[in-house]
Parts: sequence; C-alpha cells; structure tokens
Amino acid sequence: MADTTFRLRVTYGKTGRLRFLSHLEVTHASERSVRRAGLAYAVTQGFNPRMKVAFGPALPVGTAGLAESYDVWLTRYLPPADALGELRRATPDGLAPIEARYVSEREPSLTAALTLAEYEVVVGGPDAGPDRVRTGLEAVLADGKLTLQHKGTPKVFDLAVFLPKEPTVGEYPGGSMVRMTTRMGASGTLRPEAFISEAIRRTSADGAVTSVTRTGLRPEGES
Amino acid sequence: MTDLWPVVEPLLARVERPARYTDREWGALHRPEAPYRVALLYPDTYELGMANSALAILYARLNTLEGVAAERVFVPWVDMGAAMREARVPLFTLESCMPVAECDLLGITLPYELTYTNILEALDLSGVPLRAAERSDGDVLVIGGGPCVFNPEPVAEFFDAILIGEGEDAVADIVEAHREAKAAGLSRAEVLERLSSVQGVYVPSLYAPATADVPARPLEGSRAPARVVKRVVQTLSAHATPPCPVVPFMDVIHDRASVEILRGCSRGCRFCQAGMVYRPVRERTPDEIVRDALAQLRCTGHEDVSLTSLSTTDHSRIEEVLRRLSAAVRGTGVALSLPSLRVDAFGVEMARLASSGGKKSGLTFAPEAGTQRLRDVINKNVSEEDLLATVRVAFGAGWRRVKLYFMCGLPTETDDDVRGIGALAWKVLDAAREATPPAQRGGIRIGVSVSVFVPKAVTPFQWEGQLPMEEVRRRQAILRDAMPRKGVDLHWHDAEVSFLEGALARGGRDLSRVIERVWREGGTFDAWTERFSFARWMDAFVAEGLDASALATAPRDPDAALPWDHISAGVDRAYLLSEREAAMGGRTTPDCTFDGCTGCGVCQDLGVDIVLAGGSRG
Repeated sequence: MADTTFRLRVTYGKTGRLRFLSHLEVTHASERSVRRAGLAYAVTQGFNPRMKVAFGPALPVGTAGLAESYDVWLTRYLPPADALGELRRATPDGLAPIEARYVSEREPSLTAALTLAEYEVVVGGPDAGPDRVRTGLEAVLADGKLTLQHKGTPKVFDLAVFLPKEPTVGEYPGGSMVRMTTRMGASGTLRPEAFISEAIRRTSADGAVTSVTRTGLRPEGES
Repeated sequence: MTDLWPVVEPLLARVERPARYTDREWGALHRPEAPYRVALLYPDTYELGMANSALAILYARLNTLEGVAAERVFVPWVDMGAAMREARVPLFTLESCMPVAECDLLGITLPYELTYTNILEALDLSGVPLRAAERSDGDVLVIGGGPCVFNPEPVAEFFDAILIGEGEDAVADIVEAHREAKAAGLSRAEVLERLSSVQGVYVPSLYAPATADVPARPLEGSRAPARVVKRVVQTLSAHATPPCPVVPFMDVIHDRASVEILRGCSRGCRFCQAGMVYRPVRERTPDEIVRDALAQLRCTGHEDVSLTSLSTTDHSRIEEVLRRLSAAVRGTGVALSLPSLRVDAFGVEMARLASSGGKKSGLTFAPEAGTQRLRDVINKNVSEEDLLATVRVAFGAGWRRVKLYFMCGLPTETDDDVRGIGALAWKVLDAAREATPPAQRGGIRIGVSVSVFVPKAVTPFQWEGQLPMEEVRRRQAILRDAMPRKGVDLHWHDAEVSFLEGALARGGRDLSRVIERVWREGGTFDAWTERFSFARWMDAFVAEGLDASALATAPRDPDAALPWDHISAGVDRAYLLSEREAAMGGRTTPDCTFDGCTGCGVCQDLGVDIVLAGGSRG
C-alpha cells in the first residue's frame, strides 16, 4: 500500500428494485463499481490482498436507503467531483452514488459514528389510516419494552434506548406513513417493520408494512 | 409486450433471495424496441445458471443481431414457483419481465440429465404445452442445446428443435430462418421443416425414433438429414470473449471473469464425453486471451479471472499468457485462477505463475483411477511417479491443499483397483508430508473425490454397463477402508443419483413419459440433494413400464442400434470401437495435438482443423 492514502466517503442510494439486495450483495457491487470506475484504490496488506473499503450500517433485504455510505481509500488524490462522476458512470442506477468527499483519517468508522437511523415506513391496507396506526404505536410504546423473536430466541428491546424520539404518523395514499428514528448499538438493532407490524397487530387493523426506506443516518447529538 | 413487474414485485417480499428475480445487474442488456424476442432459459436457479459460459456467449451474440433482443430466464426456486402459481403469474424473462410465452423463441440449455424435470416446470409455468406435438402456430418455438444433446432422445418430444454442437454461428442462422419463415406466414410444420435444413439442427418430430435394430430415421416425405452433424466454429478468433457479461449481485458459483482460452481436448480419456464431443482442439492466441481478460476485468470490475477450458495447461503458449496477465494485474488485488491441472511439474509451475506469490488456494488433479493398469484402460496417461513428483513440487512450493478426482466402477475395475485409490492417497499424503516443513504439516489437506462412472453417448465406453447400485456401495465400503483415516477428506457420489443419471443418459424417446410423470408427481430441482427423490423416479419407471436397471446397467450390443445413432459429433463409430478394443487390451492412444492424427474422424467429417496458437505442443 502507498504511504499516503485518501479516504473518500461515498454516499449512495439503494432504491427501486435494488432494495431487494442484501448488505453483502451491496458491498460486492460497490467494490466492483470502484474497480470499473478505474479509481486508484488501496489494497490491504497481507496474504490475501483486498480493496481497502469500509461500509456503514447494514440495510436488510427489501429495505431501501436514500443516503447510505462507504469509505474507500485511494492511493492518488482525485477531485471529489471527478471521483463521483467516474463512480456514477460505473454503477447500476439503483445504487447510484450521490456525493463523494474526503474525510480525515482521524474520523471514527462509519459504523461507530452513525448510530441513529431515520426511517419512513409505509403502511397500506383498508383500515391502516394514521389514527388507527397511531393508536397501535401508542399501545406498544406504553409497554416500554418490545419482545421480538430473533432466530428462535426472544430478544427484549428497551424502547427508551432504541427509540430516541417518538415516531410520528402522517397521511399516505392507501394508508399511512410512520417517520421514526432508531438507535443502533452493540446490543442490536430494532427493525422498523417489526416494530410497526407489532403496532398494527395491537389494533387488529387490516394492514401491513408495504415499504421501508432509511432516509438518513447520523451521529448522536446532530439533528 | 406485457410487463409483469407490477405483479412480480409484491411476491418478492416473501421469497428467499429475491435478487434472483430483479434484473438490473451491471451488463444486463435491455432492447425493448427489438421486434424479435428470445428467452434464454437455464433449467436451474439463477446462481447456477449465471455461472454458465455458453449462456453468456449466446446472450451477447444474439443481442448483437439487428432487431433481436435476448433475455435471461431461470427456474424460480420452489417458494417463488408456488407464489407465482398462486398469484397466476407466468414465467417471465428478467430484463423486460415479459411472459416467456410472448417471446418468439425459447432457447433451453441441457446441462445435465437431472435438470430435465425443470424443463417441464419452466414450460408449465410459462403456459406453453409440454410436448412439441401439442403446440400450435402461435406458440413460442422451443429449441434446446448444450452438453446433453448427444443423446437428445429422452427429452426430444419436449422440443421443437435441438441444436447439436456449438452455437455462435448457428443461433444467428436459426433466428434468420425463423424470421423469414414468420414473415412468409408459414405454418409451424413448415417452419420446422425449414429449420431442419440449418446445419446442426435436429427436429425430433421429423424422425421415426430408433427401434432395437433400426436407428432413428427421417419420416417419409421429410427432407431432414439422415444424420444430424454437429455444428462447430472453425476458430475461436472469430468470436471474442464477451467483454461485458452480466455481473450478478448475488453470490453465484464461479463469480468471476472468465476467458475460454481453448476449446476441445484430445487427450482421449475413454470415459470422457466432453473430450469426444468438443473436438477438435482450437486455441485462442495469447494476444486474444490477454486482450479479452483485461477487457472483461475492466468492464465487469470482477476481482478474479479464470482461464477456462477442458485442459488449460495444455495450451501451447500458456506460460506466456500467465506471465503477461499476472504482470498486468499486479498490485490490484485481482487473482488469476486455473481449473484442474495437468499432473506434472509444469502444471504446478503454471499454478505458481498464476498465483504470483499471492494466495495459494489449493490445486486439483485428476488421476481418475488408482492403478496403472486401469489408467491404461481409460487412457489416462498419468503415472504414479508423475503424480507423486507433482505433489512434492507443489508442497515444496508452499501449497498445503490438493484435491484428487477419481472414478469408481470403470470398465474392468477390480477390488484391487479400488484399493489402489486408497494406496495412492496414502502415498500422496506421505509425499506431501516429506515436502512440507514439520511445523506446517498440520495444515496439509488431501481431498479425494470419487465419482461413479456413468457411460455416456459418443464415448468408447458407450456400450458398457454401469455398476448396479449394490455393487457401487460395496466398492465404496472397500474404498473407505483403504483410505487413510487422518489427513484425507473422502467424498463420493451418491449411488442412486449416478444410477439415475446413467438411466437417463442412454435412454430413448420413451423416457419422456417417465420424466413427465416425475414432474407431475412434484419432481423439480432433482440436482439438489434436498429435492431429489429416488423413489419418485423408480415409481415412475415402473408406472411407465420401463426398466431403469436395464437402461443403466445392461451392456449394449455393438451391432444393435443406439437411440443416438442419427446424431453425429463427427467422431467415427469405427474409432470408438477401436478405442474400446484398445481399452480392453490395456493399450493407450496418444493425444493428436502432441503426436499426430489418431483417426477419430472429426477433422475430416466436419471440415475443420486443430488450431494451436504456438504452432505445436510438446
């Protein structure tokens, strides 16, 4: 690896049909985009050299993202606008890069820094209007805790920790839309559709989560 | 054309691996304006089909034709198939998400006998009648091709036509003939008659199938040829490797760039169908290989490139190719890989060049039999000394893992030959230990994989019987006892799967009834261990009044007719018979690319020549 490397932070979307990709599929696809773009990427040292690249928090299969990120280390400086242009040319539309900028080596990793995730969850169904969904959410929140099955074992989420602020419910054609923020950490991640599905179940409403979009990721303390 | 995406999308939230069905990969080609539409079906899942080089070649080739769009189709996994039936969504192509039944042509690969039920699953999901005889003028034209066509009879009735041999030129001829016929308003029967005049195209409905004494022959009044002769391309140079194949998002098998550096192999192993049916040997030049590999890496962004063929280290200029390519990718983290290697020091040297100091993942060799006597019978010209010397060189150079391929049940095999596989594994293990520093010996891994010999059409062993299952199991027990307990990982093929493969490989037209019955009883994805039901197959053979044991295990009389006698790979029957005699006499036959013509007949019958990039080998 060259002595000096340049840490390029790329922000991209995961949208349309490509929301069905898994995190691993997105990471492979992004590495291939970097190679196709012809960027001078750094390679890890060791027996099995690989591209030096680090990804932000994983998105599940089926969940879209509007501002996901990865860092890739380059061995030659390239103006960010040029890097963005080359990456856009070399990436399928559904994963198109939106922004590229250099960040300091001193900055913490993406997964360490970005612990708050903002979501828009669309609920559809004959009686999945905002009032009904809000009632369900309030019932779940009143418990303070939510128990979900994870690979056959129950996992308890303390909602005061995992939901740093109260979700809001608004109008949406054919149902409603929930805007919510979750906190990710060493103790796990609360999946928005699991939380909302539980809320719908509480009201016995005829409705279901029809789409989940992560609209942004941010560090603690920023709004 | 109908866009099914709005009805497909809601199904994807509840199925495994939805990326199988979404399209939109890098390199996927969308030509919505093209009036002539081809669906290319691989009769298994996306992740298996996307590893198939032939599909990638034909996809690229067809999409260069004016007015033609070729799109990919795979068989939906069981969960998706059920969801589609429930929602009444027909089988769709990936790119346009259009119904397969709305296409002009449906091309289906025949990669392996155990995928046959999936062909019916795909036709049924498409809403296309299963048998050619039931289709009418408006139905899509269903054409097969691929490795299994050298005995097409078990699936012949499901196809309107089957291409025998290589597709690069033939697919263009088929599309041209079909377009002209459509423009002229011909009936389906007239279209098929016209297609039968394209060289290499077999139209099953124009032939009376073989009986015990008489080979299949054209029906009276048909102008179809008495023998359908394999199509070949004269030289690979006329067809560059597709530079921008589709790059899957999913983790597929063989997920890498690949360049076919040569086609064909004339080493002449007598059990090997590929070695007989892909003749003659045609090499690409080093310039073409380096150009194609770098172009494909640039366009795909893959991190590995494989140099593929039946015998890559036999390429007459492989050393130059590897030196140039490894220099070109140095420092990028891109790895070169070679498939199974020639058993000699040169093979190891080439693997060392390919790995160029980086990862040494493991080497694969194929001695195929455990004793010299049996290796002479099958014409595998490898000696025990070659193998042990090769192992010493490999472990001395730092490799710690080798994999060895063998077969059980080869003609004339005795218990001593089976024990010989174990004895050879012991010697390989000892040689590996000797060549490895004591502190590193714990890392030594010898993999031994033993398949069951299945006689295939167009080989010198096409008349041999396959071992009955009980006998296979008895020999596998001998094998297990003869193997070192530690340091060797032994794998063998399932006796039931091999038996069925044998019954399907050499059967006739009547087998189509068995295949259809198995599919109707729920059989799909038979190549997947968890989906395979031997009982379902055996019940179907009984119900249709056919004897699976006779098909698989009974030797054939060389004077009787074979179901595939009307199909020619260019290899003469007389040559196959003389090779069979040589096998029984333990006499070996050299490779014509090293030692001159051995009279197989391919070059004369097909009007082609061996093409060697270096002018000569050896």
